[in-house]
Amino acid sequence: MRPTMPRLALATALRAALAPTGAATLATLATLATTATLATTAATLEAQQFPTAPPAAGPIKPAPFPPFLEATLGNGLRLIVVENHKLPVLSVSLAFAAGGRYDPPGKPGTADLVAALVTKGAGSRDADGVAAAIEGVGGALTAGADADFLTLSANVLSGDAALAFELMADAAIRPAFAEKEVELSRTQALSALQLEQSQPDAIASRFFAKALYGEHPYGRRADPASVKAITRDDLVAFQRARLKPSGALLVLAGDITLARAKTLAERAMGAWAGTAAPAAAPSAPPVRSAAEIVLVHRPGSVQSNILAGNLTWAPTDARAYAATLANKVLGGGGDSRLFTILREQKGWTYGAYSRLARFRGVGYFQASAEVRTEVTDSSLVELLAQLRRIRDEPIPAKEFDDAKSALVGRFPLQVETAAQVASQVSTARLLGLPNDYVQTYRQKLAAVTVAAARSAATAAVRPDQALIVVVGDGAKVYEKLKAVAPVRIVAPDGAALTAEDLTVKTAALDLAWDRLVARTDSFTILAQGNPLGFQRSTLEQADGGWKYTEDVQISTFVQQHTEVRFTAKLEMQSVLQTGKQMGQDTKIDVTYSGGRAKGTAATPQPQGGIKTITVDAELPAGAVDDNLVSVILPALKWTSGAKFTVSAFQSGKGTATAIAIAVSGEESVKVPAGTFDAWKADVTGGEQPLTVWIEKGGAHRLLKLAFPGQPVEMQRVK
Amino acid sequence: MFHRNALLVLALALGTGAAAQAPARIRVDQYALPNGLKVQLVEDHSSQVVAVDLWYDVGARNEVRGRTGFAHLFEHMMFQGSAHLKKTEHSNLIERAGGQDNASTQYDITYYWEVLPSNRLNLALWLEAERMRSLAVTSENLKNQIETVKEERRLRVDNPPYGKAIWEGTLQAFDSVRCFSYGHSLIGSMNDLEAAKVEDVQAFFRQYYAPNNVTLTVVGDFQAAEAKRLIADYFGPIARQPAPPSVACEQPFNSGALRTRLTDAKATLPAVLLLYRVPPTSHADAPALDLLATILGQGESSRLNRVLARETKAALATQALMNPFGPRRGPGMLFALGIANQGVAIDSVEKLLAVEVERVATEGVTEAEVTKAKNQFRATKVNERQQAFAFAEAVQYAALYLGSPDAVNTDLDRYLRVTAADLKRVAATYLRRENSLTITVVPEAK
Repeated sequence: MRPTMPRLALATALRAALAPTGAATLATLATLATTATLATTAATLEAQQFPTAPPAAGPIKPAPFPPFLEATLGNGLRLIVVENHKLPVLSVSLAFAAGGRYDPPGKPGTADLVAALVTKGAGSRDADGVAAAIEGVGGALTAGADADFLTLSANVLSGDAALAFELMADAAIRPAFAEKEVELSRTQALSALQLEQSQPDAIASRFFAKALYGEHPYGRRADPASVKAITRDDLVAFQRARLKPSGALLVLAGDITLARAKTLAERAMGAWAGTAAPAAAPSAPPVRSAAEIVLVHRPGSVQSNILAGNLTWAPTDARAYAATLANKVLGGGGDSRLFTILREQKGWTYGAYSRLARFRGVGYFQASAEVRTEVTDSSLVELLAQLRRIRDEPIPAKEFDDAKSALVGRFPLQVETAAQVASQVSTARLLGLPNDYVQTYRQKLAAVTVAAARSAATAAVRPDQALIVVVGDGAKVYEKLKAVAPVRIVAPDGAALTAEDLTVKTAALDLAWDRLVARTDSFTILAQGNPLGFQRSTLEQADGGWKYTEDVQISTFVQQHTEVRFTAKLEMQSVLQTGKQMGQDTKIDVTYSGGRAKGTAATPQPQGGIKTITVDAELPAGAVDDNLVSVILPALKWTSGAKFTVSAFQSGKGTATAIAIAVSGEESVKVPAGTFDAWKADVTGGEQPLTVWIEKGGAHRLLKLAFPGQPVEMQRVK
Repeated sequence: MFHRNALLVLALALGTGAAAQAPARIRVDQYALPNGLKVQLVEDHSSQVVAVDLWYDVGARNEVRGRTGFAHLFEHMMFQGSAHLKKTEHSNLIERAGGQDNASTQYDITYYWEVLPSNRLNLALWLEAERMRSLAVTSENLKNQIETVKEERRLRVDNPPYGKAIWEGTLQAFDSVRCFSYGHSLIGSMNDLEAAKVEDVQAFFRQYYAPNNVTLTVVGDFQAAEAKRLIADYFGPIARQPAPPSVACEQPFNSGALRTRLTDAKATLPAVLLLYRVPPTSHADAPALDLLATILGQGESSRLNRVLARETKAALATQALMNPFGPRRGPGMLFALGIANQGVAIDSVEKLLAVEVERVATEGVTEAEVTKAKNQFRATKVNERQQAFAFAEAVQYAALYLGSPDAVNTDLDRYLRVTAADLKRVAATYLRRENSLTITVVPEAK
């Protein structure tokens, strides 16, 4: 479903809510039922005249491309103009060899920040002035950086060409890098990086690049430390050194002549001089002689993100066309082998694909799939089998012809607009491809044979030397993955892990038992500083052991009542939790006995709705019901720098996890119950990361609990 | 002297060569088949692309209580196979030809489209005729697609932050009895869909997916004679059906300020939406309202962004939109949205938003803002001619909402004629407290 709407430029939240859907393709393939259709009798009589099969294609029309008109300015700036006077539109692209590979040592992310900032104030205009100028004429001005190039783009009506040149020249030659804008862009970059840390596909991509390229600049990625370390001086130095006319490429497509383009370029950029230093020779990427799996352990992941691939070649390699065809068959879309087999046939994934990535230097091949945790190993095995198959078997004629028809057919759709043309021409020239690359693309593709595709696949797709990255729950997938290829385990922060680190620790807790005492606690729950609800809990002796009762109310939308029973020695007995969330009933009813947890849990799902599961799992020795973590906190032995691991059973999920608690500092904290000196600690391994503040004095009461990145917290009332 | 200066200022304000910045007039070849199918053809040989775009005159507005969600359900059913096609084969064939296809449901219409290299026009026309004449509306397909719709609801409405507020909160602006057409959810009620019988669904298809209820537009690199022949051969034999019932909606405008509050498990920051009812898309005030939405909340230099995001830093992001669910022949909405920055109370964001919106009614807008908004619409109208599909949509829009496909040539003029005084008047008429619905979205504590 896709509502039509005006141009949006805005918070991803709104865009996500209104984003278009694709055609409905989620059902599995099945043969058509033979039940009656709705054609009326009149239509049925005519049925024999209606073709029963899709009509054949007409002859492909040649797609004439306007000639490229080229010039070089006195300062070395290269100019390409592709004229099209059908509509009064103009697309301008100005590209520099100033991508991430040129970042200063230790400061990856510099090129990205420079690109973000050059349009935020330059020449006589501040950021608001630039926005007003370009939006004032209904145009667009953007800048971005990839690994090789930093590119400025402007799209305007052709009558505003002079303004486009003025704004682009200002951005490239005299950007302001105002402190306020630098800090705003830095904050946005850090927010984006923080968001990435919760996205397994971004994590996989980062590890893949680093392991595949090693010390080669293409393996680098920005991280929070590097982004914080970049100074304004770094940004200015980068821009001054790398945004130079000699070596840069200016491409114009649309309603402009070469003569006018030269005049405007001379006027805006003629006085600008200089050459950027060539790229330093990169360190060679590691050579791989055998397949290797890098397993990035994210406990509790319900999905695994798989990336498998290898280095290929420079973009000018003659095998590129044939490899593109082979890749289309293998994983280039919904009609490909990876998608059809892993999704349509096996139902293991929402999507599996493959692609050939190009850089100015050596590129790579990569197959990807996001699969359910339980089928991680099977999916990987099948994926690797398909990689072998595309090398070992010639592609059958129909599959081959369909792939070729798709790739050749789509080309006219990729050069409809001036912006598309400018981008295609610019990319081809920057990658060092022949001058007639765009014009001859279709016919070169059409000339690829089955034999050539197979030969190219053998060179481009190398499963036996593949780098495989799997981001998922190591505890669940490690053993089975070992059978596929040697496995190296890492934490998401890159720290090396051993197989032992994957299992939940069953060591007994070292508690100060005298702090496990009967008491009542009361908290207020706040959102954005506004009270929204409460939590009241009681710990009391009952039946020779303990009974913990907790009541939570959040506005009118969440109510929850929990009772956990356990022995004096902290052996679990039962948990009963009932409640309502957004009008739907939730319930957890689990009994702990003989080292096992058994029962049922009906809990809300992230994607909506309530899901009921049967719980029947091993209860690790020393594990506590996860509702009791707050009960245990006061009884831990709190000191500066302390770290604890609590084995917890998540009765709502039916699985055990290791909760890690680490003291990160101390500070004074003010809550309705008073002002206290407190230990601040990070709690990870549960459903969500938490931060807790624990009273330093005596009883070590929990004072405050917060969720990083969210404006919701719990504060002690008494 | 004064006269000349004024002209110079105007010329500079509108950019040099203003006259040259208007696209050439297009002639639309329009006719109807005997079975009522309306056809609109625009030849354009500047690229080797052809777009086929069908607007079925059926959407959520045609649904009745207890049977909501049917229009959107059909968007899915149309890809599930027909007499000569297996499930998903429609899209696979288009993909193999190098094309793209998709569909979308709105309140007023459901549209289906393909874009292909020009030598494959026959494929798109055949595929559209094939499903119009023989779509497989079976119990099995119905059951499968209801599951798919539930999945889509999770993806579009439940999962993204602020989804519920936009898809369902905004409906509260419309009277759910007297204007049920626009007052119920586009995705429909899951209960209604689960209760749907295949006979009801078949009846809906028969009534609304008939040739007399469709406009077929083809734009791009094709020959009219060949296109007409194919259309006659493929679509001609499909029998017409009785005209569907008309849609009624009575919606008072200034019935008093409404408020509603939602919690959202996916939102990390609170947000506020200020919604105002606006007249149908064909109304004389519609262009002014579009320009107003642009001035208020589109782009970095918009009023809301400048005041709420950049100056006071109360909002992380702001936006003003007209009719996010598509144009309509009934009452619509203009809304202003602000997402609060960390640590900012949502009440202050609401106040700032309301002040900026109401300021336009009392103080009006500047000439620079009017010029900017007009230039943005001019750029949009020119740019949509770069792509066959975008232009096909513009032609369809002109036919249904402006009275004739030829109106695609004069649509821009409606915007260029709007004055600052018009904008002030329109703001005072519609952006009033008593015509508003305020939706506050608060993150759900976990």
